[in-house]
Amino acid sequence: MTRFNFLFRPAHWASFVLIGAFCLAAGTGFGQITISGEVTKPLTLQAADLKALPHTEVTGKDRDGKEHKYVGVPLADLLKLAGATMGGELRGENLMKYVVVKAIDGYETLYALPELDTDFATRTIILADSVDGSPLPSGVGPYRIVVPGEKKPARWVREVKSIEVRFAK
Amino acid sequence: MTISRFVLFGCVALVALVAFQPADDPVPTGPYELRYPASFGGRFNIPVDNPMTQEGVYLGRLLFYEPRLSATGTVSCASCHQQSRAFTDGLVHSVGVSGKLTRRNSMSLVNLLWVRQLFWDGRSNSLEEQTLVPLQHADEMGLKPGEAAQWLQKTAAYPALFRRVFGTDTITDARIAKAIAQFERTLISADSPYDRFLAGKYVLTAAEERGLRLFSAAPNSGRGIRGGNCAHCHGGPKLMQELFHNNGLDLKAIDPGRQEVTGLDLDHGRFRVPTLRNIALTAPYMHDGRFATLAAVLDHYSDHVQASPTLSRELVPAQAGGLGLTPTEKTDLLAFLHLLTDTVFVNNPQFSNPHIRH
Ligand code: HEC
Ligand code: HEC
Repeated sequence: MTRFNFLFRPAHWASFVLIGAFCLAAGTGFGQITISGEVTKPLTLQAADLKALPHTEVTGKDRDGKEHKYVGVPLADLLKLAGATMGGELRGENLMKYVVVKAIDGYETLYALPELDTDFATRTIILADSVDGSPLPSGVGPYRIVVPGEKKPARWVREVKSIEVRFAK
Repeated sequence: MTISRFVLFGCVALVALVAFQPADDPVPTGPYELRYPASFGGRFNIPVDNPMTQEGVYLGRLLFYEPRLSATGTVSCASCHQQSRAFTDGLVHSVGVSGKLTRRNSMSLVNLLWVRQLFWDGRSNSLEEQTLVPLQHADEMGLKPGEAAQWLQKTAAYPALFRRVFGTDTITDARIAKAIAQFERTLISADSPYDRFLAGKYVLTAAEERGLRLFSAAPNSGRGIRGGNCAHCHGGPKLMQELFHNNGLDLKAIDPGRQEVTGLDLDHGRFRVPTLRNIALTAPYMHDGRFATLAAVLDHYSDHVQASPTLSRELVPAQAGGLGLTPTEKTDLLAFLHLLTDTVFVNNPQFSNPHIRH
């Protein structure tokens, strides 16, 4: 086997093509959110789709200890849009479902489905796209979960990338 | 001693010798029992079609150290993943069969049972899939698909071992990968002085204790808190969080890292946060091996953090360059980092080269 062999390997060329594709893809996909898992209509929402959805305002205390005004789309609305078992369907075994929110940097946390449902919860958890009237800063946005009233903002996932509904086994 | 007793003694010694011949080594069988501290948690990455067995781990270990799994017959996984260096190789870039350098620095193979996104850029999701990469990479082991399996099939010992593990002596690349993955999942490190400290069995020195505080605390100049905030990324009992961050090495990354996998601008120059377990043994440091010593790493976080657009928020410095650590703070952090060396792990005979008999 010579060291020049690798030039002729299809896998090698495939990787060039793939890297090329990645370079083209770079720059797109920004501000896109996927909703998947135990839903009837898995969705990929672009920035414009999210902007067009009804927004709600909540206030919450960030790490700086100060109250801020956040505006965004209630997670419950997004889950309904994707056909998750919300509202009247959130009963029986569906109460064993949970939602995993993932960030671009790999950070992930979960919420039980009833925590997000308006029939159960007294607070509205949102996918925020602005804080105090401005878009979220880089490293935080374009989207961040805001859980009003939670004493520690560890579940306020920054740079949200995906929302997945799962069944606890 | 009478003659007959002497003969008897001789016979016993002979029998004992014969019994210790490698050929008679029994292959252990049965489910493999994973031992790990409860604090590491049970969120394993084990595919359902590759349960851990003692015979699988036994075979995987032989294959991990098998140089015949390379185009030249000279390179095994262990060439670039040496136990004495916590399964790294001490080089800036590794060298495989072609003599060309690998693109990135070799990674420590430790506590992989809990890792879900492998490689510096997280591009592989299972050890089974990952293993085929070096095997078939022109500059690592340089085999064509199916070639490793063909070679092993012709050996005297391997077909029978594969039969034990997989119920068939037909060797395939996928079965080779499964066995190696089983062995890799046993590489658990949980016995450093830091682990013993967490278990209440080791008392920190004053410097180590100050180092731990700096490692854990987020700096807050307003409240006069000094800290390196290292634990935000490298914390927890396993000393890693499975996160991808840009830790400020370059203003414009030469290697785009995670961005190559996801296509996202926000991922430019992000890499997986590596574990700091056995960090004193795994120089040189970073995905490109740019820092030769831990002192150089601390100088980076202290004074040379590059404020690129994708620099992690946690590292956006309060002052230009970084944390601005004092010489004493650096010494204390170093003392802490040396606590993370698990000598039991790097000397564990179950992880050593099985082809060499002692
Ligand atoms: C020529 C040197 C070389 C050889 C041979 C080699 N590796 Fe590696 N290994 C590397 C390098 C370099 C990386 C990091 C590559 C990257 O991230 O792009 C790596 C990364 C890994 C990782 C990822 C660890 C993590 O935490 O994500 C695993 C697992 C691994 N190697 C296992 C193996 C196995 C199994 C073999 C044998 C089949 C092997 N390696 C052979 C150099 C080598
Ligand atoms: C925001 C997350 C983050 C923080 C905070 C952080 N690191 Fe890192 N660290 C990383 C990433 C990501 C890498 C790998 C970067 C690369 O190779 O491009 C890394 C690499 C390292 C390495 C080299 C590891 C190896 O195997 O090569 C050491 C040592 C290290 N960090 C120590 C520290 C110390 C000490 C601190 C605190 C002063 C710290 N880190 C703070 C994310 C972080």
